[in-house]
Amino acid sequence: MIKTVFFTGITLAFFYILWFNNFFAHRERYEMPAQYVKIAEDVKSYAKEGKQLFEQNCQACHSVRYDAVYISSVQANPKLKTLQEKYGKVLPRDVYEAVFYEDLNALKESFGKVPPDLSTIYLVKGKEYLFNFTLEPQKVLPGTSMPAVMTGRPEETAKIVAYLKSVAEPPPEEKSKRVLMGVGTIAYLVVMGVLIWLWRSRVLKRMGLH
Amino acid sequence: MIGRIGRWIEDRAHLSDLWRSQMVEYKVPKNLTFPYAFGIMALVAFAIQVISGIFLTMYYQPDVNRAFDSVNYTIMKEVPFMWLIRQVHAAGANFFLAVVYLHIFTGIYYNAYKKPRELTWIVGWLIYFVLLTTALTGYLLPWGQLSYWGMVVTAEIPTSIDSAPIIGELKIGETISLWMKGGYEIGQITLGRFFGLHIWLLPLILLVLVSLHLYLVRAAGISNPEGVEIDKKKEGVPFHPYITLKEGAYVMGYLAVFFFFVFFHMSHFLPADNYDPADPFKTPAHIAPEWYLLAYYTIFRSIPDKFLGFVAFNLVLLLLLLLPFLDFSPIRSARKRPLFLVMFIVLVISSMALTVLGTMPPTPTNAMLGLLFTAGLFSFFLALPIISLVEWGWYKARGGSQT
Repeated sequence: MIKTVFFTGITLAFFYILWFNNFFAHRERYEMPAQYVKIAEDVKSYAKEGKQLFEQNCQACHSVRYDAVYISSVQANPKLKTLQEKYGKVLPRDVYEAVFYEDLNALKESFGKVPPDLSTIYLVKGKEYLFNFTLEPQKVLPGTSMPAVMTGRPEETAKIVAYLKSVAEPPPEEKSKRVLMGVGTIAYLVVMGVLIWLWRSRVLKRMGLH
Repeated sequence: MIGRIGRWIEDRAHLSDLWRSQMVEYKVPKNLTFPYAFGIMALVAFAIQVISGIFLTMYYQPDVNRAFDSVNYTIMKEVPFMWLIRQVHAAGANFFLAVVYLHIFTGIYYNAYKKPRELTWIVGWLIYFVLLTTALTGYLLPWGQLSYWGMVVTAEIPTSIDSAPIIGELKIGETISLWMKGGYEIGQITLGRFFGLHIWLLPLILLVLVSLHLYLVRAAGISNPEGVEIDKKKEGVPFHPYITLKEGAYVMGYLAVFFFFVFFHMSHFLPADNYDPADPFKTPAHIAPEWYLLAYYTIFRSIPDKFLGFVAFNLVLLLLLLLPFLDFSPIRSARKRPLFLVMFIVLVISSMALTVLGTMPPTPTNAMLGLLFTAGLFSFFLALPIISLVEWGWYKARGGSQT
């Protein structure tokens, strides 16, 4: 009995540390005021506005390929439409980089590297980092070539973060569908498990094996 | 109509005879404990990986320019329900390895590797090894930062052979490293061969080995928590329905936990850093292998000499393979072996501590702790022959009886 408790406990603790909360490994955390968290989380109300702000402030250098948003000079290029007719709205990366090599190379020459595509950046960095970095790039990452475009405009920055979230994550209605699916699946499995167990007791009783 | 087709097939294939002889008349001990269900859970996990993997190959593109987008756009966003398949496959890999580890530790605890089951253990070890390779090759496919840099580090590990005194001259390590990568850098060739290995060769080898493992389990009979061989005719219970229904209920519980992770907690199985496309010019801050390799990684990292570190972690694998021969005691199961139980606890704590240490930065204190737990891990294997000798003494003193 003691052995069972010990081995079960130590195994659960082990997987809790590995898969939920590793309090041995250090992770950087960034602060974000609550009112801006609210804006960045609320994709439904602010993603559209965020997209406009993105087009005004960020699109000169950054693309969001998964939303078919390319850097401004590419967006103005008539070739883009022809290519999109052939490959779909989201161009394959190699096609995009080969055809628009000159536009991307111009950015590379002024910034030292091609500014990254921001399709999945929300999943990589999280809202807190994105918010702080966009507001004051030099403070978060000294020496970065990212210009301080959004400094002093926290609310608009939060709206841009909401837009990036809307691109990276499934839309809210899809998310709630997935939650429902998850709950349904788990409930089905638990009920089936219990039913199998009850059926087993009956079968075993009939066989005189209990 | 269906009944008639069923009878038609039955008259020719005699499937019910097969069922009766293999499932009902197959007798197993009545006192099998919960950990015995890890075997069937691993089998279920394998089936889940094969099925979800087949669907993933329909949309995945093994091309360095398109792999990342095919995973993160086509699969995760474009095709309906493929997000679910990917999450099942990613969580499934972790669960498969977790269950296999639990299965291995169960086998060690109940001494299920002893005569006549040595071969079952050896085939099981091969499954474990091939499984690690499968996980490693699959990890590169999403072509994210972690995939790429994890493989850069892994492909470097064999080169530590080259720092050995005499054999180092032969540059064996560099050759192995080149074979793994298919060149001097990780690129299209690496991705192509890893894709081929991951979807064809390794799963087929696994399929053969798992079948063999199951056959051997049947041939030798299931071991017993008490460590005694039962008289199957008198004491055994029919495998079906006694065990099938019991473990069937456990499997439902296992799947419930599994789907909890799939739907609500994927942040560990699809880590944030891997949503960043692979970039050979940008080294991420933390590079460590996945959790199932961390114990070996910590052993490798804690030992100051690279070559010795390489030897040490391979020695662990080798000792695990040789376990049935290191432990030659006539007494079976930790339930009856207090000395073995103590060393088993040392083994469990050491391997868990080594894994957790692998997630931490390599400070001098952590390196010392790593050495300490490495010593703990080896002490288990070294203690086995000594414990066996002592237990032979007890066994003879009692006149050859187990208790």
